[in-house]
Amino acid sequence: MARKRDIDQKNRKTRGAKAVSRRDFVKSGAAAGVGSAATVLSSSGTALAQGVSPADAVRWDYEADVVIIGGGCTGLPAAIRARDLGASVIVVDQNFDLGGKMLHSGGQVSFGGNDPLQHRDIRGERDPEGFVTVGRLHSVEELTEDPDFLFRDHTDWSVMDAAAQAPYRYNERDLHRAYADNCGPTREFLMKNYVRFGRVSGTHGNGGMSRARRAVTFLMEGPTTDIKKGTITAKDAGIRGVSSSHFAPRFMENGAKVVGPGARVNGAALSRGLEFAAREKGVRFILNRHMDEIIREQPFSGRVVGIRASYSPRLHPQTGQRLESLWQNGNVDERRQTIHIRARKAIVIGSGGHGNNPQFRSMFYPAWREPAFVSSGWAMLGPRGQDASGIIAGMRVGANLAGMHQNLSYGSTFHFPGTLATRDPYTDMLPGHPTFPFRGSTGILLQPSQFQHLIAVNQVGKRFHNEILVTIREGGAAFPAAPSKGQPNAGMAHKPLDWRNASIENVRKTYAEPNSVHAALAMNEGSQAPDYFSGPIWAIFDRAAVERDKWNINPPFTSPTNGFFFSADTIEELAAKIQKGHEFQRVPLRYLAETVKKWNAYVDQGSDPEFGRGPDAPMYRIEKPPFYAASLYPVWHDSYGGLRINGRAQVIDMQGQPIPGLYAGGEASGGGNQHGLGRALVHGYIAGTHAASEPTGTR
Amino acid sequence: MADDQVVNANAAEEVQSHAAGVVVWDVPSAIVAGERFRVNVGVKCASECRLATSRIGIYDQAGARLASATLPEGVWPGTSGLYAAEVELTAPGDEGLFTWSVRAPEGDAAGPHAEGSTTFGVRVVRQPDHQITVEAVDGETQAPLADARVVMHPYHATTDARGVAQLRVAKGSYRLFVSQTRYITVGVSVDVTGDVTTKAELFLEPVLERN
Repeated sequence: MARKRDIDQKNRKTRGAKAVSRRDFVKSGAAAGVGSAATVLSSSGTALAQGVSPADAVRWDYEADVVIIGGGCTGLPAAIRARDLGASVIVVDQNFDLGGKMLHSGGQVSFGGNDPLQHRDIRGERDPEGFVTVGRLHSVEELTEDPDFLFRDHTDWSVMDAAAQAPYRYNERDLHRAYADNCGPTREFLMKNYVRFGRVSGTHGNGGMSRARRAVTFLMEGPTTDIKKGTITAKDAGIRGVSSSHFAPRFMENGAKVVGPGARVNGAALSRGLEFAAREKGVRFILNRHMDEIIREQPFSGRVVGIRASYSPRLHPQTGQRLESLWQNGNVDERRQTIHIRARKAIVIGSGGHGNNPQFRSMFYPAWREPAFVSSGWAMLGPRGQDASGIIAGMRVGANLAGMHQNLSYGSTFHFPGTLATRDPYTDMLPGHPTFPFRGSTGILLQPSQFQHLIAVNQVGKRFHNEILVTIREGGAAFPAAPSKGQPNAGMAHKPLDWRNASIENVRKTYAEPNSVHAALAMNEGSQAPDYFSGPIWAIFDRAAVERDKWNINPPFTSPTNGFFFSADTIEELAAKIQKGHEFQRVPLRYLAETVKKWNAYVDQGSDPEFGRGPDAPMYRIEKPPFYAASLYPVWHDSYGGLRINGRAQVIDMQGQPIPGLYAGGEASGGGNQHGLGRALVHGYIAGTHAASEPTGTR
Repeated sequence: MADDQVVNANAAEEVQSHAAGVVVWDVPSAIVAGERFRVNVGVKCASECRLATSRIGIYDQAGARLASATLPEGVWPGTSGLYAAEVELTAPGDEGLFTWSVRAPEGDAAGPHAEGSTTFGVRVVRQPDHQITVEAVDGETQAPLADARVVMHPYHATTDARGVAQLRVAKGSYRLFVSQTRYITVGVSVDVTGDVTTKAELFLEPVLERN
């Protein structure tokens, strides 16, 4: 161990000295990787001679230089990058299709640090294909920076958001130094791999306070869906309120403001572009395959040498047919229950976060042990998506964790998106994507003011908060700064690293978090030992609300059979139907009738002494049959906290040493609080770079 | 019903009454003292029995019977088994908020049903003094907003095709709300001492970013 630690110290110094230049950084990082891994191989040689390595007993079914766990926002760029550098690559993914959460994301990518897109806008240039027809959206000053500036922005101790959380101060320094150095190269890399970006427009959550860095990915509406040409049919891009597609599980929004007329934007443009590039370049994919174990030479020492993975097909809930990926080239149709895949050089964990693992996420917040609530994209990703399996597998071979508390530092980590009548209230999927039958309903999407037409109750039928505030959340401090986001100064007047940003006076002035989600998750009379689940949340409303505010409560927005929407002639009957028909309704809603009666009395009085409704919006009785109950679920949107990685995306063990050959990024990693796609893409790019440079193992 | 009838035949003394649920709706939010008004009363058997011809009774805050009605044939549209009747009532002569009750089904027609009941509020106001005219427009385009809701508790109105709503209210202090689907609700405090004409500009509610 002493030798390894000494070598790591030496490498760290090397990296620190070369960190200013991105080109130098990549070179030195790769060189350090070779030295470090060679040393470990010699030490593991001793173990091999003693014949005690569990890895020796494995019979490998497949092998590749680099094995990547998860074909999403970290895994796809890592795969392409490693392939570009000459490595053979196998990607395993537990789902039937590629893209992970990236596929259903908004496609917003914040980089910065003098990235090529900032340059393009500064120079007033268009994209090479001429799709971007709108002009620059920010001043030259708002787009001008360098990696040092970005690094400082991402590690600014002083920034507070309107929920009095500090989104940047806990970020891992080494990780964010490398992030800042690699943002530009990653943007360039993506654009060479069929990813098109619109104009830079603001900055995405926790992407830094001081400069504009975000651009959204797009395709242009055209007669065919053709990644090379950059076009998509209107049908594939989605028809609002009617259908999604296999290509894009969520409706692709109009990108006229940031691209030009005819642009359709969201993460499908990013995800399908990268997937197309990876398939074209010869990456192999073993889909329907869940990684269960990472195999290391010794349980806590030596290189990682491969993985064990089990068959995890997605079967259509009605027909029982296996779901198939949109594109097939490069797929390996492997259906054995268990296989082992050898990684000659490296393993990259890009398996996503812990948002769908109640046990794991409860390390951070016990109320989130409630299994009813899921991670965004739950139907699309399946029950094993975002299950923390990559993090857990890393822990089993000795990895450390980082940044679990950073789940708190972004306002959308968990929240109420405001969509009723569906289990995943974040993903507004319409029929057309193969996984729609798993959710059964799109959901009724309400804006905050529309909550004036309902009351929200917990599992025993009691209200818990002012309904108008239920979907309100604060956080996501990013450029441009504003008092509404918790900063004392707006826009370019923001002063980085200024103590006044974190002053008591500023927090008092700007705090605006209603904490409604915590009230929803609180224990109640139906919570029982030992887990004290808070249970489902229900929106209760009547026929008059539906007519008054013109809600579409018909399929596909609701489902008569999925247990997330009920109607009844009386409130008592409604309570009984919920208990009978909803999987997570463990106790009777015994207060519901009384709650509605009380609410109607408050409406008659014109005030709500319990939760302060009245001054903010009109109140309406819930009286006209039929009566409705629609689930009002919170969602775990994305997770922060995971495997500790260094600036080369190497997974770090409990002693602070890299685990040889093991890389991770995106939501499987911790210590980086940036929301969205940026961090995962950069981690993937860095991991792919260094994974390809690892020495070839002997096992 | 079939199962219940078997139980009745075999063990009459153990018959469990069907629970009846009672609902009242379309109660005007403000009723001028002494005026006539109408409400809908519905009754639902938990076992979805036919309740046509059953009687309902309405009682005031002191328990005095105010009115009765017979449930007609046919279930209320959109419900699975709610039998409903419109009932005409007379507001008390004094201002105030009164809690009245409904009991149903009553008497012999109730059959095996336990009597259900519920309460509802009757807000009695004095003769209005002033007329409030509200014009609701889109703040960006100045286009009139039809079907916008105008609320000055307890008075409610809805704008017409020209975006105009009129309410007659008593003198006093109110919170005036104008709300419309997808728009940010406007709420202002007003002291009504005479007729008021006002324009409410509503702006679209920002769509929550999904990223």
